[in-house]
Amino acid sequence: MNDFRADETMRRPLPADPMQKPGGDDSGPSAPKVKKPDTRQLLDRMKRVDPEQAKRYRQRSGQ
Amino acid sequence: MNSLFGIETEYGITVEGADATHLVAESREVVKSYSGRYAGPWNYRAEDPRNDMRGFHVDKLSQDPTDAQFDKPGDRVQSPSEDRCDRVLLNGARLYNDHGHPEYSTPECNDLRSLVAHDKAGERIILECAHARAATIGKTVDIFKNNTDFHGASYGTHESYLVLRSVPWSEVVQNLAPFLATRIIYAGAGKVGSEERGITCKYQLSQRADFFMVLQSVDTLHNRPLVNTRDEAHGDPRRFRRLHVIAGDANMSEYSTALRVGATNLVAALIESGWQTPVVLKDAVRAIKHVSRDETYKWMVDTDDGDSISAVDVQRVYLRGARELNLPGSDWVLDEWEEVLNILDNDPMSLSDRLDWVAKKSLLDEFVEAEELDWTQDVATLQSLDLAYHNVDPEAGLYYGLVDAGAMSTLVTDEEIEAARCEPPLSTRAALRGAIVRRFAPQIKAASWGGFAWEDGGQRGVIALPEAAEDYAALREKIESAENLSDVAAILRTS
Repeated sequence: MNDFRADETMRRPLPADPMQKPGGDDSGPSAPKVKKPDTRQLLDRMKRVDPEQAKRYRQRSGQ
Repeated sequence: MNSLFGIETEYGITVEGADATHLVAESREVVKSYSGRYAGPWNYRAEDPRNDMRGFHVDKLSQDPTDAQFDKPGDRVQSPSEDRCDRVLLNGARLYNDHGHPEYSTPECNDLRSLVAHDKAGERIILECAHARAATIGKTVDIFKNNTDFHGASYGTHESYLVLRSVPWSEVVQNLAPFLATRIIYAGAGKVGSEERGITCKYQLSQRADFFMVLQSVDTLHNRPLVNTRDEAHGDPRRFRRLHVIAGDANMSEYSTALRVGATNLVAALIESGWQTPVVLKDAVRAIKHVSRDETYKWMVDTDDGDSISAVDVQRVYLRGARELNLPGSDWVLDEWEEVLNILDNDPMSLSDRLDWVAKKSLLDEFVEAEELDWTQDVATLQSLDLAYHNVDPEAGLYYGLVDAGAMSTLVTDEEIEAARCEPPLSTRAALRGAIVRRFAPQIKAASWGGFAWEDGGQRGVIALPEAAEDYAALREKIESAENLSDVAAILRTS
């Protein structure tokens, strides 16, 4: 599998400050930490998925 | 005044050897496996899902006729409280059985970081319940955070936003519909295939788009609307509406969750401000389905003036309006919203580190190529992988495989998620709910979002949680040191 590009994108962190209607303060950003992608184990995990599980998967209708 | 929002998620569930006829009972048992401290039961008399925003009350809600095949005589226990097994948790959240789905409603939050942490904490809480149930019965219990069973049954991930009652409902619908019809370009969780009769597609952006049939309605179980008109404020109904958004997918991606709720919250504020959308869609229900299934990713939708516009540009109209509001605390959402729209316009598949529908599609594309599968011939396999993406078990789920591989950006830390399992947000009334559960759970006789009924040593009373306290953290401290619920009631009366 090809590498994913997560490590190429530096994301701003999500602030913990309240989202406000007029009258509050703003917050600042910082950089995220993203590990180097290693998708070999993920491919193995995908191969272990039962290919019939969706056929058997029946749920009650919800909201 | 701070914003207020929350997410309620109905989880999919499988139990080894059990079919859909057993899911109501199995979901109930999973919820009852919760081992933490809680209060209950729920006070259903405080709720009325048949009350319509348009000023009327319906006699009954539409039911899914297909779902009736799974009902068995004697399957339901007698009382709603026994059936639903409501638990109000230490973190101010609500855990219960919603007709065969373990449901977790986050506590009310007013910052996105708390919301994302509490949404993820919900996954862990329900997974822990499932593991406990599995250990009891000696069978595998799996939990999926998705919205479809690929056979035509859908279950919801709903959002709530506080909106001033003074905004006419017709303006809410007019201004909200184009936004909801198009936000799936960044908020969709992705789905293999279609469940709408006569429609075929390999892969679509949204898990839920197939299930919307009308623009607005109070129904949620069948003939679902793009804009839900349920009028349950869960607060002072004279001042507020609770915008109950059912046109959303269950996001595994923390980023998608934050952007979905953050942008929608800004649009709610925009509507409150009296802003009028310059874009009116010819048919918003048709538009969300088209955008979801358009594999060219041009996402063009018809407007009511006979023209057309891309979903990206519809979103930009709302983004511009939200920028002009210049609301404190909105910088993260505005900047990320703009960046994502720009990328969606040029190279959507490069958003695989952030958006669920892109991450899942990239993963499936790679697997199809590596295993020489075919999108048309191997639908069952691909739908099984789609389902596996939403398995909340970090050891099995494909989303969590992406996170482990470093291929998915996360926004909150493991410590924040663990803390959110037991601690409520400290800046909303959930802080008080959590403190009361922690100190006085045995004395609680009924709970609702707005407060509690209690009984203690011959005394009984009700407690209303204040909706707009100056300092919830200080009130929480007072509750923690209170002798009894009579004292708590007095503290909150004078707050």
